[in-house]
Amino acid sequence: MKKKILVIDDDLNVRDYLVSLFKDNGYDVSIAGDVKEGLTVAKKNIPDLITLDIEMPGEWGPRFYRQLAQDPELKNIPVIVISGLSGHQYAVVKAVASLSKPFDREELLKIVNDTLN
Amino acid sequence: MTKQILIIDSDNEHAGALKTYIEHQLYDVTIATTFEEVRIQVDNNTWDIILANPFISDDIASYLLALKNGCPLVQILILAPKDKLDTAMDFFESNVIHYLEIPINSKALDLALVAARENISLNMKMASYTKSIADLHHAQDFLNQLFEAVPCYISVQDKNLRVTAANKKLKQHFGSQIGGFCYEIYKHRTSPCTECPVVETFRDGKSHSTEEVVTSKFGKQYNVLTQTAPLRNEKGEITQVIEMSTNITQIRQLQNHLISLGLMLGSMSHGVKGMLTALDGGIYQLETGLSHKDDERVSKAFGQITQMADKIKKMVLEILYYAKARELQYDEMDVAVLIQNAADTVRPMAEKYAVTFDVSISENLGKIEVDSKWMEAALVNFLENAVDACVFDRDKTDHCVQFAVGKRSEESIFLTISDNGVGMDTETKNKMFTLFFTSKGSQGTGLGLFIAHRVIRYHGGTVEVESEQGKGSKFSICLPFRKPDSAKNVEFPRTIR
Repeated sequence: MKKKILVIDDDLNVRDYLVSLFKDNGYDVSIAGDVKEGLTVAKKNIPDLITLDIEMPGEWGPRFYRQLAQDPELKNIPVIVISGLSGHQYAVVKAVASLSKPFDREELLKIVNDTLN
Repeated sequence: MTKQILIIDSDNEHAGALKTYIEHQLYDVTIATTFEEVRIQVDNNTWDIILANPFISDDIASYLLALKNGCPLVQILILAPKDKLDTAMDFFESNVIHYLEIPINSKALDLALVAARENISLNMKMASYTKSIADLHHAQDFLNQLFEAVPCYISVQDKNLRVTAANKKLKQHFGSQIGGFCYEIYKHRTSPCTECPVVETFRDGKSHSTEEVVTSKFGKQYNVLTQTAPLRNEKGEITQVIEMSTNITQIRQLQNHLISLGLMLGSMSHGVKGMLTALDGGIYQLETGLSHKDDERVSKAFGQITQMADKIKKMVLEILYYAKARELQYDEMDVAVLIQNAADTVRPMAEKYAVTFDVSISENLGKIEVDSKWMEAALVNFLENAVDACVFDRDKTDHCVQFAVGKRSEESIFLTISDNGVGMDTETKNKMFTLFFTSKGSQGTGLGLFIAHRVIRYHGGTVEVESEQGKGSKFSICLPFRKPDSAKNVEFPRTIR
C-alpha cells in the first residue's frame, strides 16, 4: 500500500510541484493551503509524512506543528520543513529535516524515502 | 631708555650751559642754533623733548607748530625772554607743555622736564592701550565672523534656558527672538524638555550631547546633534552655556533609506526563494512531461514557467521603481483607455483562477492628467490584489472582482475595486500600505500596495478601504482630472520616512 504524504504550502505552484514529484516517486499525496486546512486534511486521512511551509497567510507553520504534537493520533507523524524563510531550521525543532527553498529534489526524495522506509 | 632732547637757541653760550645742566640728569642733548640746523636734526632724528627759543628766526615758531601736529608725542618747552613770553603763549597756546622765562630758573626747568617725561610716559601708555583696543576689536570681529559663519545652529543660554545670543543660521531657520526660551524656539514647546543637555551642563559643568528632532519656523523638521559647553565668569562660576547643534537630517534620511533597503533585501530574498522553487517545479513538470510524452503536463509546465517569469519580472520592476527616483511624467490620456489597459492586464489572471471580472466604465469621462506608466502599474496592483484575495479564499466557491469607474465631480473621477475574497482583519487593513508589509506569505514582497498607494497620493488622489474578514474588500479611489500643483516637481518614490 502506498505511503501517504500531506503537502502544506500556500503557494499553488509549489504544491503542484511537490504533488507531481511525490506521485512520480510512488506516493499518495494530499494537499492543504494553510494550517487550518492542513489539520482538517490530516485528521480526515492520516498521512505517513508531512511537508510543511513556515510562512503562510493566517497561522504559520510552527503553530500547526504544536497542534499536531498535541493530537494523540497525529503527534508521531514525521514533519519535513520546506521554507524560504531565514532561520527556518529553528522554527520546528523536532522536524526530521528542514530544507531551504529552492530545495534540492534528490535530497528531498532521499530524506522522504529514508523516513518512510 | 635715555630721552633725547634737542635745544634750539641761537645763543651758543646759553645753549651750552643748558646742555651741561640737563646732561647731568642723564638726557642725551643736542643743540641747534639756526633754522637750517633745526631742520636737519628734526629730519634725521627722533626727539622726545624740544627746548626751543622760537624767536631765533622768523620761521621757527610755525615750524615747531607743524612738527607738533605731525608728531603729537614730542614734548615742546618754550624758552623766551620775559617780554616775549606773552607773544609765545598767544602763538603756541596749549600745543606746548611749558613756557620758561630766560634766564631760566633751574627748578622750573627740572619741573618742566619731569612734566615732559610724565607726558611721554602717559602718551606711550595711551598708545599701547589704543593698540590693545584695536587688537581687541579685530579679535572680536574675527570671533563674530566665526560665530556667524559656522554651519551649525549656535545659541548661548542662561539658567532659565533663555537665548541670550544666537548665530545667523539659527536666526534664519528658527527666528531672531533673542530672549526667547530654547524649547520654544527649537521645539515650539511651552515647557522645558525632560532631558536637556544645557541643564545638565549648568549642573555638572561638563559638555553634554544629545540627538534631537527640532522644528524650524517654517515647520520643517530637522535631526540635529546637539553639544553643550559651559561659559564661566572670572570666579569660575557657570553663568551661561553655549549650545551647538549640527544638522544631521540628511545622514538620518540616508540611514533610514539603508534600513529600508535592508528590509527590502530580506523581503525580496524570501519572495525570490518561493519563486525559484515554483520555477524549479515548472522545470520538473516540463522534464517529466516531455520524457513521459504527457502533453497536458508539458502545457501546464509552460504555463507555470511563464507565470513565474512574469512574477519575477514584476518583482524586479517593483524593486527598480522603489530604488530609483524619477519625476512623474504627466500626460493627458483618455480615462477609458487608462482603465481598459489596466483591466486587460489583469483579466487573464482572473480567468486562470476562475474569478469573474466585471469592468464598468461610465461614458464620456474625458481625459485625465496622469503619469500613465505609474498609474497603470498602481491600478494593476490594486486589481491583482483583489484577484489574489479571491484565490486565497477557500470558504466560497464563486468569486468576483468588480471594477467600476465614473465621474465623481467636475474635478475628479472615482474608481472602486470590490472583491468577495478573504477580506482583511483590522490589523492587516491598518498596515496594508506599509512598506514591506504583506499578508501573502512568501508570495508577496510588501512593495506592491505601498507603491500603488503612493502613486495615487502623488497624483493628488485618495484611497479608502472597507473590508470584512471572510466577506471581501472594497477599495475606493478618488483621482483628480488635473495634476495637483504640489506634483510639479515631485520625484517618485521619495525617500522613505
